[in-house]
Amino acid sequence: MNLYSVRAFIPPFVRRCRPLRATTTRRYAVQAPGAPTMEIFSHQHKWMQKERAASDVETSRSVDYLRDEVASRLCERLLDINRHFPQVLDLGANACNIARMLTFPSEDSPDAGPRANRVGTLTAAESSEKLLFRDADLPFNTEIDVKREVLPTSELLPYDANTFDAVLSSLSMHWINDLPSVLAQVNHILKADSPFIGVMMGGDSLYELRTSLQLADQDRRGGVATHTSPLADVRDIGGLLQRAGFNLLTVDVDDIVVDFPDLFALMKDLQAMGESNAVISREKGAIGRDVLLAAEAIYRELHGNEDGSLPATFRLIYMIGWKQSPKQAKPLERGTGMFSIKDYLEKDDKGGEKK
Amino acid sequence: MPGRTRPIDKFAAAVGKCSKEGSVYGKCIMADYNNVYKDKCLTEFMALKNCYLKATKGR
Repeated sequence: MNLYSVRAFIPPFVRRCRPLRATTTRRYAVQAPGAPTMEIFSHQHKWMQKERAASDVETSRSVDYLRDEVASRLCERLLDINRHFPQVLDLGANACNIARMLTFPSEDSPDAGPRANRVGTLTAAESSEKLLFRDADLPFNTEIDVKREVLPTSELLPYDANTFDAVLSSLSMHWINDLPSVLAQVNHILKADSPFIGVMMGGDSLYELRTSLQLADQDRRGGVATHTSPLADVRDIGGLLQRAGFNLLTVDVDDIVVDFPDLFALMKDLQAMGESNAVISREKGAIGRDVLLAAEAIYRELHGNEDGSLPATFRLIYMIGWKQSPKQAKPLERGTGMFSIKDYLEKDDKGGEKK
Repeated sequence: MPGRTRPIDKFAAAVGKCSKEGSVYGKCIMADYNNVYKDKCLTEFMALKNCYLKATKGR
């Protein structure tokens, strides 16, 4: 990174818009020793988008529907683990959606009290200060012990080893450049035999928007520009978690389809969420009107619903990994099985026939 | 921002009036979307754009 060398020449006003960056960075996993990590997403730009989005508090709150729903589903997964978690980290907290969802009772057992009973202190870490503190004076903050921490960059976790009993992450990992390193750091700060539960956008998210913008670009301008991020696929996640040293992996996929009145409503909502395009190789500036006009028509024709609304698919990849510990259950050694599974299954089959 | 219509809202309203032309253009692209090249559906697009321009002027 040669960023620090030009830093002195940037006027102070511009510098203020940059997130703080640690001058010496040490990462736990790199692709090859000494090799620079590929930068796909611009952190500075993402940070600015989030700050801007959060400064319009009402609009920003009105588009929380997706984050709230996903955070709620994530909390259900946390509750599936029959434990009390004294120290929990929410990595990439956005507007503390997880904290808010934890103050509601579980959907499976509404009488058991709020989900937060199972959580001690929740540390919400996020790089955008405005977004993080957006809801800091709402009443839910009194119902849960939440500690907000602004991170200088979302790729370095300033925590000691073996600090947390669980690490959660909801809808922010799709903006991380060096995912293997961040996952390895998560593994490092977890206590032994503690879970990491994360959810990220993946695979075919917003494929309708992607394809219609591509077709519109192709027809109007004769080429394709990057309008949507490259996303991790489901089958990559298992490898990523394993590489970071996690054990007993669970990965599953959930599709949420949201219907919008038109293409512009979808794009406005994405902007208000702070989820606009931040790929470094993107075309700077707004999309041209011709392309937008064409994309809207193509979207409607190619993907539109019969009632005239436009569906947008969000594919969420949930992942659960456990930090290794000698106490965990392990598979038995090869050849120690005492009876044949074939016999067992056949016995079951016969039982079924008798009934 | 309160009290001010964002340009994108005006744009959306104008485009909303041109659904017929939009559908014709969309069908033209859809007919063979594996082979789209520059100005493949130029006439259909110009019709759509003229409609949009008329809709913005009308207000």
